[in-house]
Amino acid sequence: MKSAPLPLMLLILGLTFAFLYVPISVLVALSFNESGLPTAWTGFSVKWYGELARNGDILKAAGNTLIVALASTVVATTLGTLLAVGVEIRRRKGRFLETIIFAPMIIPDIVLAIALLSFFSLLNVTMGLHTIIVSHVVFNLAFVCAVVRARLKTFDWSVVEASQDLGASTLTTLRRVVLPVLSPAVVAGALLAFTLSVDEFIIAFFTAGAGRDSITLPMQIFAMIRFGVTPEINALSTIVMGLSVLMLTLSQRLNRGRLPGQ
Amino acid sequence: MSEPLLSLSNVTKEFGSVRAVDGVNLDIAENEFFALLGASGSGKTTLLRMLAGFETPTSGEVRLDGRDISHVSPNHRPVNLMFQSYALFPHMSVARNIAYGLEMERLPRSEINARVGEILEMIQLSDLAGRKPDQLSGGQRQRVALARALVKRPRLLLLDEPLGALDKKLRGAMQLELKRIQDQFGITFIVVTHDQEEALVMADRVAILKDGGLLQCGTPREIYEHPQSRFAADFIGLMNFMPATVADGALLARDGSRIAAPLPEGAHNGDPMIAAVRPERLHLGEGDHENRLRGRLIAKAYHGLDLQLHLETDLSQEPILVRLTASEAEGQALETGTAITLGWKAQDTRVFNA
Repeated sequence: MKSAPLPLMLLILGLTFAFLYVPISVLVALSFNESGLPTAWTGFSVKWYGELARNGDILKAAGNTLIVALASTVVATTLGTLLAVGVEIRRRKGRFLETIIFAPMIIPDIVLAIALLSFFSLLNVTMGLHTIIVSHVVFNLAFVCAVVRARLKTFDWSVVEASQDLGASTLTTLRRVVLPVLSPAVVAGALLAFTLSVDEFIIAFFTAGAGRDSITLPMQIFAMIRFGVTPEINALSTIVMGLSVLMLTLSQRLNRGRLPGQ
Repeated sequence: MSEPLLSLSNVTKEFGSVRAVDGVNLDIAENEFFALLGASGSGKTTLLRMLAGFETPTSGEVRLDGRDISHVSPNHRPVNLMFQSYALFPHMSVARNIAYGLEMERLPRSEINARVGEILEMIQLSDLAGRKPDQLSGGQRQRVALARALVKRPRLLLLDEPLGALDKKLRGAMQLELKRIQDQFGITFIVVTHDQEEALVMADRVAILKDGGLLQCGTPREIYEHPQSRFAADFIGLMNFMPATVADGALLARDGSRIAAPLPEGAHNGDPMIAAVRPERLHLGEGDHENRLRGRLIAKAYHGLDLQLHLETDLSQEPILVRLTASEAEGQALETGTAITLGWKAQDTRVFNA
């Protein structure tokens, strides 16, 4: 079979990228539009970013998001790493465990959201930031575990035995050998978890409970958008997106840059 | 032998229904360089892992200095293992790798530094102390792994295929180097290897393992000169085998010729046997040897120190292998295709039950 000529392939590639990135570029551009109107460009300005800083609701929501993202990242990273190591050690027990662990990655967010809401209602838990944190741990755990496990596939387990042989206890071996060797993957997993948590909407929306106290940034944007897309939203979205891209890039860098000897 | 350092009595290890190590009894003396020799699946690695503490015997006892250590965990035994893959910590420098075991003993920092510096000098890697393992060559990594285990001054050092990952030339040099280090430190070494030449060169005593059991144990010379089974004779060095039957205090070969040989006790006329002779015990000409054979020279190979001949004979289906020293072969017309007569002594013949 003859492959398509180069110009045609370049055209398709260009269109694909345009489809993916033109809307985002427009959003970013509009956030710097002085007039704030999507129809007319009146000049470059950062005044909408200034407006953001004066908007109490947005600042509150940003604070909430930061709390949720940090807390769920710390918990998910700790548990996810231990889980990955544990599963790898016991992997001879079959693949059933793996499927269960990775299920939250595949289950649609809406299903997970409803399930968590029902679960919390059933337990009569008062909902708020803490329930969002727990809910975010649920899916973040799976992601951290996946990233760390990918690293464990190339892990030379004989160093664990070597550490024991040289006189280290299990805990010392974990602290001084296993974790340092895994650290790039652990950090990468944490960054990924943080990013996912920052822009997660559906699950947070379902498990936040009533009241404005536990509104996160995506929820705030959603609330504002009901009255039309304001330039402030463009500015806010640009910031969130910039942060996500930064985190993801960092995460991928870390995961690729293998430690010496691996 | 005085009180042995290490004593295995009836050590058995089963994995499910598989018996990996089967009732091994073995005493190893202080300061010995001991080799466990066997093919893969012979149980030698399982035996080594039981000595290191990574496996516990299903039954039997492992005693070190008279103390039963069968169920002592690896981090509480005065035994260290040099791993086949070296298992160096990839995130630590050479010096940190070596210091690790001493830090676990909670020694004062000054002593740790002194001992690490001392051993780095000994393995000639002082200049590379700050390097990470992946910045070292295979030979250098091997030396770091050895130093990391040795610096703890264990009662017993286990080495799992220590030279397996090195190229052939380096291996030869390291065989002698290991022997020198063992001598210098006065630590008992147990080497696991599948390489019979390596075992013969390095070890004071060799144990041959087969199917989890101990087949024969002795000095390299004993094992080479007096193998107790056909397997041991075949496994160690080169050996010519000739089927024969017992006939009036000697052996009758396939071609009807008599082979004078020391017969095992209780051999009766007509018993099938296998006569064996090392290639270097065969000599050109009839001389005053009790045994002789005639064969057609089908191939010869020059090896520098010696000349190897392949003879086609009626004694065996396999060609008979002969090793002549360079001086022995000198001035001899050894044309392939011609017939040659060789002789060997009765006392150089080994006889095994067929």
